[in-house]
Amino acid sequence: MQIDVKAIFESFVSGLTYLPKTLILILVPLSIGLVVGTSIALVRIYKVPVLSQFFAVFIPVYQGVPIVVALMVYNLIYLMKTNDVLKFFGSSKTIADIDSIYVGLFALSLMMICSISEVMRGALLSINKGQYEASYSVGMTKPQTLRKIILPQVISIAIPALINTTVGLIKSTSIVYAIGIAEILSGALVPSSRKYTFFEGYLAAAIIYWILTILIELLYSYLEKRTSIFKTGKTENKKLWSLKCWRSNTSEKALAEMKS
Amino acid sequence: MGDLFSADRLVEEFPKLIPYLIENLKVLLWATVFGVILGLLITGVRMKKIPILYQITVVYISFMRGTPMLVQLLLIYYGLPAFIDPILGTNISREWPPILFAYTTFILNQGAFLSSIFYGAIKGVPSGQFEAGLSVGMTKLQTFRRIIAPMAVRIALPPFGSDFVGVFHNASLVYVIGVVDIMGRAKSIGSATGHVLEAYVIVALLFIIFSMGARALFGFVGNKLDYANIKVR
Repeated sequence: MQIDVKAIFESFVSGLTYLPKTLILILVPLSIGLVVGTSIALVRIYKVPVLSQFFAVFIPVYQGVPIVVALMVYNLIYLMKTNDVLKFFGSSKTIADIDSIYVGLFALSLMMICSISEVMRGALLSINKGQYEASYSVGMTKPQTLRKIILPQVISIAIPALINTTVGLIKSTSIVYAIGIAEILSGALVPSSRKYTFFEGYLAAAIIYWILTILIELLYSYLEKRTSIFKTGKTENKKLWSLKCWRSNTSEKALAEMKS
Repeated sequence: MGDLFSADRLVEEFPKLIPYLIENLKVLLWATVFGVILGLLITGVRMKKIPILYQITVVYISFMRGTPMLVQLLLIYYGLPAFIDPILGTNISREWPPILFAYTTFILNQGAFLSSIFYGAIKGVPSGQFEAGLSVGMTKLQTFRRIIAPMAVRIALPPFGSDFVGVFHNASLVYVIGVVDIMGRAKSIGSATGHVLEAYVIVALLFIIFSMGARALFGFVGNKLDYANIKVR
Protein backbone atom coordinates (compact mmCIF):
# COMPACT_ATOMS: atom_id res chain seq x y z
CA MET A 1 0.00 0.00 0.00
CA GLN A 2 1.44 3.31 -1.08
CA ILE A 3 0.50 6.59 0.56
CA ASP A 4 -1.49 8.67 -1.86
CA VAL A 5 -0.41 12.30 -1.39
CA LYS A 6 -3.16 13.56 -3.65
CA ALA A 7 -5.76 11.80 -1.51
CA ILE A 8 -4.35 13.45 1.62
CA PHE A 9 -4.72 16.84 -0.02
CA GLU A 10 -8.24 16.05 -1.19
CA SER A 11 -9.26 14.91 2.30
CA PHE A 12 -7.60 17.96 3.81
CA VAL A 13 -9.65 20.32 1.66
CA SER A 14 -12.81 18.32 2.27
CA GLY A 15 -12.16 18.38 6.00
CA LEU A 16 -11.52 22.13 5.99
CA THR A 17 -14.98 22.79 4.55
CA TYR A 18 -16.36 21.43 7.82
CA LEU A 19 -14.14 23.73 9.90
CA PRO A 20 -17.02 26.11 10.78
CA LYS A 21 -18.96 23.22 12.36
CA THR A 22 -15.97 22.26 14.48
CA LEU A 23 -15.40 25.90 15.42
CA ILE A 24 -18.99 26.09 16.67
CA LEU A 25 -18.39 22.89 18.61
CA ILE A 26 -15.32 24.51 20.18
CA LEU A 27 -16.43 28.10 20.78
CA VAL A 28 -19.93 27.54 22.17
CA PRO A 29 -18.93 25.00 24.84
CA LEU A 30 -15.85 27.08 25.67
CA SER A 31 -17.83 30.28 26.26
CA ILE A 32 -20.58 28.49 28.17
CA GLY A 33 -17.94 26.66 30.18
CA LEU A 34 -16.06 29.86 31.03
CA VAL A 35 -19.17 31.72 32.20
CA VAL A 36 -20.99 28.91 34.00
CA GLY A 37 -17.83 27.18 35.19
CA THR A 38 -16.49 30.34 36.80
CA SER A 39 -19.86 30.98 38.44
CA ILE A 40 -19.89 27.45 39.86
CA ALA A 41 -16.34 27.91 41.13
CA LEU A 42 -17.43 31.13 42.87
CA VAL A 43 -20.50 29.40 44.33
CA ARG A 44 -18.22 26.75 45.78
CA ILE A 45 -15.63 29.24 47.05
CA TYR A 46 -18.22 31.43 48.78
CA LYS A 47 -19.94 28.24 50.07
CA VAL A 48 -23.44 29.15 48.94
CA PRO A 49 -25.65 26.68 50.85
CA VAL A 50 -27.27 23.74 48.97
CA LEU A 51 -25.78 24.74 45.61
CA SER A 52 -22.19 24.35 46.72
CA GLN A 53 -22.88 20.93 48.27
CA PHE A 54 -24.68 19.86 45.11
CA PHE A 55 -21.78 20.85 42.85
CA ALA A 56 -19.23 19.34 45.22
CA VAL A 57 -20.89 15.98 44.56
CA PHE A 58 -22.02 16.46 40.98
CA ILE A 59 -18.76 17.67 39.43
CA PRO A 60 -16.44 14.85 40.54
CA VAL A 61 -19.13 12.31 39.64
CA TYR A 62 -19.77 13.78 36.22
CA GLN A 63 -16.04 13.99 35.53
CA GLY A 64 -15.93 10.24 35.98
CA VAL A 65 -18.02 9.68 32.86
CA PRO A 66 -16.09 9.46 29.58
CA ILE A 67 -17.37 11.93 27.01
CA VAL A 68 -18.16 9.19 24.52
CA VAL A 69 -20.47 7.40 26.98
CA ALA A 70 -22.19 10.66 27.92
CA LEU A 71 -22.64 11.49 24.25
CA MET A 72 -24.18 8.09 23.52
CA VAL A 73 -26.66 8.47 26.39
CA TYR A 74 -27.71 11.98 25.35
CA ASN A 75 -28.00 10.92 21.74
CA LEU A 76 -30.22 8.02 22.69
CA ILE A 77 -32.51 10.19 24.79
CA TYR A 78 -32.56 12.74 21.98
CA LEU A 79 -33.52 10.13 19.41
CA MET A 80 -36.22 8.56 21.58
CA LYS A 81 -37.76 11.54 23.29
CA THR A 82 -37.49 14.60 21.04
CA ASN A 83 -40.72 13.90 19.20
CA ASP A 84 -42.64 13.42 22.46
CA VAL A 85 -41.25 16.64 23.92
CA LEU A 86 -42.09 18.59 20.77
CA LYS A 87 -45.60 17.16 20.77
CA PHE A 88 -45.97 18.09 24.42
CA PHE A 89 -45.21 21.70 23.61
CA GLY A 90 -47.65 21.60 20.72
CA SER A 91 -44.98 22.14 18.08
CA SER A 92 -45.58 20.79 14.59
CA LYS A 93 -41.86 20.14 14.10
CA THR A 94 -40.36 16.65 14.24
CA ILE A 95 -36.90 15.36 15.06
CA ALA A 96 -35.91 15.77 11.43
CA ASP A 97 -36.16 19.56 11.81
CA ILE A 98 -33.75 19.67 14.73
CA ASP A 99 -30.03 19.56 14.08
CA SER A 100 -28.29 16.84 16.07
CA ILE A 101 -25.37 19.22 16.64
CA TYR A 102 -27.25 20.40 19.74
CA VAL A 103 -26.64 17.03 21.35
CA GLY A 104 -22.92 17.44 20.76
CA LEU A 105 -23.02 21.03 22.02
CA PHE A 106 -24.88 19.95 25.14
CA ALA A 107 -22.48 17.13 25.98
CA LEU A 108 -19.36 19.19 25.30
CA SER A 109 -20.70 22.20 27.22
CA LEU A 110 -21.44 20.10 30.27
CA MET A 111 -17.95 18.61 30.07
CA MET A 112 -16.39 22.07 29.79
CA ILE A 113 -18.47 23.49 32.65
CA CYS A 114 -17.17 20.75 34.92
CA SER A 115 -13.53 20.99 33.93
CA ILE A 116 -13.37 24.80 33.84
CA SER A 117 -15.10 25.07 37.20
CA GLU A 118 -12.42 22.80 38.67
CA VAL A 119 -9.65 24.87 37.04
CA MET A 120 -11.13 28.13 38.31
CA ARG A 121 -11.72 26.74 41.78
CA GLY A 122 -8.09 25.62 41.97
CA ALA A 123 -6.94 29.06 40.85
CA LEU A 124 -9.25 30.83 43.31
CA LEU A 125 -8.03 28.64 46.17
CA SER A 126 -4.42 29.45 45.34
CA ILE A 127 -5.02 33.16 45.99
CA ASN A 128 -3.77 34.27 49.38
CA LYS A 129 -6.48 35.10 51.89
CA GLY A 130 -4.59 38.31 52.64
CA GLN A 131 -5.62 39.62 49.22
CA TYR A 132 -9.29 39.48 50.22
CA GLU A 133 -8.62 40.91 53.66
CA ALA A 134 -6.50 43.73 52.30
CA SER A 135 -9.14 44.83 49.83
CA TYR A 136 -11.93 44.60 52.43
CA SER A 137 -9.79 46.66 54.75
CA VAL A 138 -9.53 49.48 52.22
CA GLY A 139 -13.34 49.48 52.03
CA MET A 140 -14.02 47.54 48.85
CA THR A 141 -17.24 45.58 48.61
CA LYS A 142 -17.31 41.87 47.77
CA PRO A 143 -18.04 42.34 44.05
CA GLN A 144 -15.38 45.07 43.81
CA THR A 145 -12.79 42.85 45.48
CA LEU A 146 -13.64 40.06 43.10
CA ARG A 147 -13.51 42.16 39.98
CA LYS A 148 -10.53 44.37 40.73
CA ILE A 149 -8.29 42.23 42.91
CA ILE A 150 -9.11 38.54 42.72
CA LEU A 151 -10.20 37.78 39.16
CA PRO A 152 -7.21 39.44 37.42
CA GLN A 153 -4.88 37.26 39.47
CA VAL A 154 -7.04 34.19 38.98
CA ILE A 155 -7.02 34.55 35.21
CA SER A 156 -3.24 34.65 34.97
CA ILE A 157 -2.95 31.63 37.25
CA ALA A 158 -5.63 29.69 35.39
CA ILE A 159 -4.33 30.26 31.86
CA PRO A 160 -1.94 27.28 31.62
CA ALA A 161 -4.69 24.94 32.83
CA LEU A 162 -7.16 26.59 30.46
CA ILE A 163 -4.80 25.81 27.57
CA ASN A 164 -4.99 22.16 28.46
CA THR A 165 -8.78 22.16 28.82
CA THR A 166 -9.24 23.92 25.48
CA VAL A 167 -6.87 21.53 23.73
CA GLY A 168 -8.81 18.71 25.35
CA LEU A 169 -12.03 20.22 24.02
CA ILE A 170 -10.66 20.46 20.47
CA LYS A 171 -9.73 16.81 20.65
CA SER A 172 -13.09 15.85 22.14
CA THR A 173 -14.98 17.49 19.26
CA SER A 174 -13.79 14.61 17.06
CA ILE A 175 -15.82 12.22 19.22
CA VAL A 176 -19.16 13.68 18.10
CA TYR A 177 -18.32 11.89 14.85
CA ALA A 178 -19.51 8.75 16.68
CA ILE A 179 -23.09 10.05 16.77
CA GLY A 180 -23.02 11.16 13.17
CA ILE A 181 -22.55 14.92 13.43
CA ALA A 182 -20.66 16.23 10.40
CA GLU A 183 -17.38 17.86 11.46
CA ILE A 184 -13.71 17.81 10.42
CA LEU A 185 -13.18 14.09 10.90
CA SER A 186 -16.24 12.99 8.95
CA GLY A 187 -15.51 15.69 6.36
CA ALA A 188 -12.01 14.38 5.79
CA LEU A 189 -13.42 10.89 5.32
CA VAL A 190 -15.82 11.86 2.53
CA PRO A 191 -13.25 11.30 -0.26
CA SER A 192 -11.80 8.31 1.65
CA SER A 193 -14.95 6.25 1.61
CA ARG A 194 -15.17 6.77 -2.12
CA LYS A 195 -11.61 5.68 -2.92
CA TYR A 196 -10.84 3.54 0.13
CA THR A 197 -8.00 5.82 1.22
CA PHE A 198 -8.84 5.78 4.93
CA PHE A 199 -5.29 6.20 6.17
CA GLU A 200 -4.89 9.36 4.10
CA GLY A 201 -8.25 10.66 5.34
CA TYR A 202 -7.36 10.20 8.99
CA LEU A 203 -3.92 11.70 8.39
CA ALA A 204 -5.52 14.79 6.85
CA ALA A 205 -7.90 15.09 9.80
CA ALA A 206 -4.99 14.69 12.22
CA ILE A 207 -3.10 17.49 10.47
CA ILE A 208 -6.10 19.85 10.72
CA TYR A 209 -6.52 19.13 14.44
CA TRP A 210 -2.80 19.53 14.95
CA ILE A 211 -2.83 22.97 13.31
CA LEU A 212 -5.85 24.00 15.40
CA THR A 213 -4.15 22.97 18.62
CA ILE A 214 -0.92 24.74 17.73
CA LEU A 215 -2.88 27.92 16.95
CA ILE A 216 -4.68 27.75 20.29
CA GLU A 217 -1.40 27.22 22.10
CA LEU A 218 0.14 30.23 20.34
CA LEU A 219 -2.88 32.35 21.27
CA TYR A 220 -2.67 31.32 24.89
CA SER A 221 1.07 31.89 25.17
CA TYR A 222 0.37 35.40 23.90
CA LEU A 223 -2.40 35.78 26.49
CA GLU A 224 -0.13 34.44 29.18
CA LYS A 225 2.42 37.13 28.40
CA ARG A 226 -0.24 39.81 28.52
CA THR A 227 -1.71 38.65 31.81
CA SER A 228 1.55 37.77 33.57
CA ILE A 229 1.56 41.39 34.71
CA PHE A 230 -1.10 40.43 37.26
CA LYS A 231 0.87 37.59 38.77
CA THR A 232 1.59 38.20 42.44
CA GLY A 233 5.22 38.43 43.35
CA LYS A 234 6.38 37.10 40.01
CA THR A 235 6.39 40.27 37.95
CA GLU A 236 9.94 41.01 37.06
CA ASN A 237 11.04 44.47 36.10
CA LYS A 238 12.20 43.27 32.71
CA LYS A 239 8.77 41.93 31.88
CA LEU A 240 7.17 45.21 32.85
CA TRP A 241 9.53 47.08 30.59
CA SER A 242 8.68 44.90 27.63
CA LEU A 243 4.98 45.30 28.33
CA LYS A 244 4.97 49.08 28.46
CA CYS A 245 2.10 49.30 26.03
CA TRP A 246 -0.20 47.32 28.25
CA ARG A 247 -2.91 49.60 29.61
CA SER A 248 -1.38 53.03 29.95
CA ASN A 249 -2.06 53.64 33.63
CA THR A 250 -0.76 50.23 34.67
CA SER A 251 2.56 50.69 32.94
CA GLU A 252 2.86 54.28 34.13
CA LYS A 253 2.42 53.13 37.68
CA ALA A 254 4.91 50.36 37.15
CA LEU A 255 7.44 52.76 35.65
CA ALA A 256 6.96 55.15 38.52
CA GLU A 257 7.53 52.27 40.93
CA MET A 258 10.69 51.23 39.21
CA LYS A 259 12.12 54.73 39.24
CA SER A 260 11.50 55.19 42.94
CA MET B 1 -39.35 7.15 31.33
CA GLY B 2 -41.44 4.12 30.48
CA ASP B 3 -39.99 1.93 27.80
CA LEU B 4 -36.68 3.75 27.54
CA PHE B 5 -35.34 2.69 30.91
CA SER B 6 -36.15 -0.11 33.29
CA ALA B 7 -34.46 -1.06 36.54
CA ASP B 8 -34.99 -4.78 35.84
CA ARG B 9 -32.91 -4.67 32.69
CA LEU B 10 -30.29 -2.65 34.56
CA VAL B 11 -29.84 -5.44 37.10
CA GLU B 12 -30.06 -8.13 34.44
CA GLU B 13 -27.37 -6.64 32.19
CA PHE B 14 -24.91 -5.83 34.94
CA PRO B 15 -23.22 -9.27 35.09
CA LYS B 16 -23.16 -9.44 31.29
CA LEU B 17 -21.08 -6.27 31.05
CA ILE B 18 -18.66 -6.57 33.95
CA PRO B 19 -16.28 -9.15 32.36
CA TYR B 20 -15.69 -6.87 29.39
CA LEU B 21 -14.25 -4.13 31.60
CA ILE B 22 -11.12 -6.33 31.69
CA GLU B 23 -10.36 -5.31 28.09
CA ASN B 24 -10.32 -1.62 29.07
CA LEU B 25 -8.18 -2.37 32.10
CA LYS B 26 -5.75 -4.32 29.92
CA VAL B 27 -5.39 -1.30 27.64
CA LEU B 28 -4.86 0.88 30.71
CA LEU B 29 -2.22 -1.48 32.12
CA TRP B 30 -0.25 -1.77 28.88
CA ALA B 31 -0.47 1.95 28.25
CA THR B 32 0.78 2.77 31.75
CA VAL B 33 3.60 0.22 32.01
CA PHE B 34 5.08 0.66 28.55
CA GLY B 35 4.09 4.32 28.40
CA VAL B 36 6.21 4.97 31.50
CA ILE B 37 9.18 3.21 29.88
CA LEU B 38 8.77 5.10 26.61
CA GLY B 39 8.14 8.33 28.52
CA LEU B 40 11.36 7.91 30.52
CA LEU B 41 13.33 7.26 27.32
CA ILE B 42 11.91 10.40 25.70
CA THR B 43 12.59 12.40 28.87
CA GLY B 44 16.20 11.19 28.74
CA VAL B 45 16.50 12.36 25.15
CA ARG B 46 15.04 15.74 26.08
CA MET B 47 17.24 16.19 29.15
CA LYS B 48 20.46 15.26 27.29
CA LYS B 49 19.36 17.19 24.18
CA ILE B 50 20.65 14.42 21.89
CA PRO B 51 20.75 16.07 18.40
CA ILE B 52 18.21 14.83 15.74
CA LEU B 53 16.42 12.59 18.29
CA TYR B 54 15.58 15.69 20.31
CA GLN B 55 13.93 17.41 17.34
CA ILE B 56 12.02 14.23 16.56
CA THR B 57 10.65 14.04 20.10
CA VAL B 58 9.54 17.69 19.97
CA VAL B 59 7.46 17.03 16.84
CA TYR B 60 6.28 13.67 18.18
CA ILE B 61 5.06 15.12 21.48
CA SER B 62 3.36 18.02 19.73
CA PHE B 63 1.56 15.63 17.37
CA MET B 64 0.42 13.30 20.15
CA ARG B 65 -0.78 16.22 22.27
CA GLY B 66 -2.45 17.99 19.37
CA THR B 67 -4.50 15.26 17.75
CA PRO B 68 -7.53 13.44 19.13
CA MET B 69 -7.15 9.96 20.55
CA LEU B 70 -9.90 8.76 18.21
CA VAL B 71 -7.94 9.93 15.16
CA GLN B 72 -4.68 8.43 16.46
CA LEU B 73 -6.41 5.13 17.07
CA LEU B 74 -7.81 4.97 13.55
CA LEU B 75 -4.56 6.27 12.07
CA ILE B 76 -2.60 3.41 13.66
CA TYR B 77 -5.31 0.92 12.75
CA TYR B 78 -5.16 1.81 9.07
CA GLY B 79 -1.58 3.05 8.91
CA LEU B 80 0.49 0.49 10.81
CA PRO B 81 -0.13 -2.32 8.30
CA ALA B 82 1.00 -0.02 5.50
CA PHE B 83 4.36 0.52 7.21
CA ILE B 84 5.04 -2.86 8.75
CA ASP B 85 3.75 -5.25 6.09
CA PRO B 86 6.21 -4.30 3.32
CA ILE B 87 9.16 -4.61 5.75
CA LEU B 88 8.26 -7.84 7.51
CA GLY B 89 6.21 -9.36 4.73
CA THR B 90 3.28 -9.93 7.08
CA ASN B 91 -0.37 -9.06 6.83
CA ILE B 92 -1.02 -7.68 10.29
CA SER B 93 -4.37 -6.10 9.53
CA ARG B 94 -5.68 -9.67 9.24
CA GLU B 95 -3.34 -11.42 11.67
CA TRP B 96 -3.38 -9.03 14.61
CA PRO B 97 -6.44 -8.85 16.84
CA PRO B 98 -7.70 -5.25 17.00
CA ILE B 99 -6.65 -4.89 20.63
CA LEU B 100 -2.97 -5.00 19.61
CA PHE B 101 -3.55 -1.85 17.57
CA ALA B 102 -5.19 -0.31 20.62
CA TYR B 103 -2.17 -1.20 22.78
CA THR B 104 0.20 0.30 20.20
CA THR B 105 -1.72 3.56 19.99
CA PHE B 106 -2.10 3.96 23.72
CA ILE B 107 1.57 3.20 24.41
CA LEU B 108 2.70 5.72 21.77
CA ASN B 109 0.24 8.31 23.10
CA GLN B 110 1.16 7.77 26.74
CA GLY B 111 4.87 7.90 25.96
CA ALA B 112 4.40 11.46 24.76
CA PHE B 113 2.07 12.58 27.58
CA LEU B 114 4.06 10.96 30.38
CA SER B 115 7.35 12.29 29.04
CA SER B 116 6.02 15.85 29.29
CA ILE B 117 4.88 15.13 32.85
CA PHE B 118 8.26 13.64 33.82
CA TYR B 119 10.22 16.38 32.08
CA GLY B 120 8.18 19.08 33.80
CA ALA B 121 8.62 17.36 37.16
CA ILE B 122 12.40 17.09 36.85
CA LYS B 123 12.60 20.72 35.70
CA GLY B 124 10.34 21.63 38.60
CA VAL B 125 12.97 20.65 41.16
CA PRO B 126 14.94 23.83 41.97
CA SER B 127 18.41 23.75 40.39
CA GLY B 128 19.94 24.64 43.75
CA GLN B 129 19.13 21.11 44.87
CA PHE B 130 21.30 19.67 42.13
CA GLU B 131 24.16 22.05 42.90
CA ALA B 132 23.88 21.27 46.62
CA GLY B 133 24.11 17.57 45.87
CA LEU B 134 27.24 18.07 43.77
CA SER B 135 28.80 20.34 46.38
CA VAL B 136 28.69 17.67 49.09
CA GLY B 137 30.64 15.36 46.80
CA MET B 138 27.91 13.24 45.22
CA THR B 139 28.32 12.21 41.60
CA LYS B 140 25.77 13.43 39.05
CA LEU B 141 24.04 10.05 39.03
CA GLN B 142 23.90 9.90 42.83
CA THR B 143 22.50 13.40 43.01
CA PHE B 144 19.84 12.50 40.50
CA ARG B 145 18.91 9.25 42.20
CA ARG B 146 18.98 10.44 45.82
CA ILE B 147 17.98 14.10 45.60
CA ILE B 148 16.22 14.94 42.33
CA ALA B 149 14.25 11.78 41.55
CA PRO B 150 12.35 11.54 44.89
CA MET B 151 11.26 15.16 44.62
CA ALA B 152 10.39 14.80 40.95
CA VAL B 153 8.19 11.78 41.74
CA ARG B 154 6.32 13.87 44.28
CA ILE B 155 5.77 16.64 41.71
CA ALA B 156 4.79 14.23 38.94
CA LEU B 157 2.25 12.28 40.97
CA PRO B 158 -0.84 14.55 40.71
CA PRO B 159 -0.62 15.03 36.92
CA PHE B 160 0.22 11.34 36.55
CA GLY B 161 -2.96 10.51 38.44
CA SER B 162 -5.20 12.64 36.28
CA ASP B 163 -3.48 11.31 33.17
CA PHE B 164 -4.13 7.77 34.42
CA VAL B 165 -7.85 8.51 34.77
CA GLY B 166 -7.81 10.23 31.36
CA VAL B 167 -6.31 7.13 29.71
CA PHE B 168 -9.00 4.99 31.25
CA HIS B 169 -11.64 7.33 29.85
CA ASN B 170 -9.98 7.26 26.44
CA ALA B 171 -9.84 3.48 26.59
CA SER B 172 -13.62 3.56 26.11
CA LEU B 173 -12.90 4.55 22.49
CA VAL B 174 -11.23 1.28 21.49
CA TYR B 175 -14.58 -0.10 20.38
CA VAL B 176 -14.32 2.01 17.18
CA ILE B 177 -11.59 -0.31 15.83
CA GLY B 178 -13.59 -3.39 16.70
CA VAL B 179 -12.29 -4.34 20.14
CA VAL B 180 -15.13 -5.89 22.11
CA ASP B 181 -14.65 -3.91 25.29
CA ILE B 182 -17.34 -2.71 27.66
CA MET B 183 -18.63 -0.14 25.16
CA GLY B 184 -18.58 -2.64 22.32
CA ARG B 185 -20.50 -5.11 24.48
CA ALA B 186 -23.02 -2.42 25.48
CA LYS B 187 -23.59 -1.74 21.80
CA SER B 188 -24.07 -5.40 20.95
CA ILE B 189 -26.49 -5.83 23.85
CA GLY B 190 -28.32 -2.80 22.51
CA SER B 191 -28.66 -4.20 19.02
CA ALA B 192 -29.71 -7.61 20.36
CA THR B 193 -32.41 -6.38 22.73
CA GLY B 194 -33.28 -2.97 21.36
CA HIS B 195 -32.64 -1.41 24.76
CA VAL B 196 -29.21 0.15 25.01
CA LEU B 197 -29.70 2.93 27.56
CA GLU B 198 -29.40 0.64 30.59
CA ALA B 199 -26.14 -0.77 29.29
CA TYR B 200 -24.72 2.74 28.82
CA VAL B 201 -25.84 3.73 32.30
CA ILE B 202 -24.00 0.71 33.72
CA VAL B 203 -20.90 1.65 31.73
CA ALA B 204 -21.12 5.21 33.04
CA LEU B 205 -21.51 3.97 36.63
CA LEU B 206 -18.51 1.66 36.34
CA PHE B 207 -16.40 4.45 34.92
CA ILE B 208 -17.49 6.83 37.69
CA ILE B 209 -16.62 4.31 40.40
CA PHE B 210 -13.26 3.53 38.86
CA SER B 211 -12.27 7.16 38.24
CA MET B 212 -13.24 8.30 41.71
CA GLY B 213 -11.43 5.33 43.22
CA ALA B 214 -8.28 6.06 41.22
CA ARG B 215 -8.42 9.76 42.13
CA ALA B 216 -8.82 8.95 45.82
CA LEU B 217 -5.91 6.50 45.65
CA PHE B 218 -3.60 9.00 43.97
CA GLY B 219 -4.66 11.69 46.43
CA PHE B 220 -3.86 9.35 49.33
CA VAL B 221 -0.44 8.38 47.94
CA GLY B 222 0.27 12.05 47.19
CA ASN B 223 -0.42 13.01 50.80
CA LYS B 224 1.78 10.17 52.04
CA LEU B 225 4.67 11.41 49.90
CA ASP B 226 4.24 15.03 50.95
CA TYR B 227 7.30 14.92 53.22
CA ALA B 228 8.66 18.22 51.91
CA ASN B 229 5.76 20.27 53.20
CA ILE B 230 5.48 18.54 56.55
CA LYS B 231 9.08 19.29 57.46
CA VAL B 232 8.97 22.92 56.41
CA ARG B 233 6.10 23.55 58.76
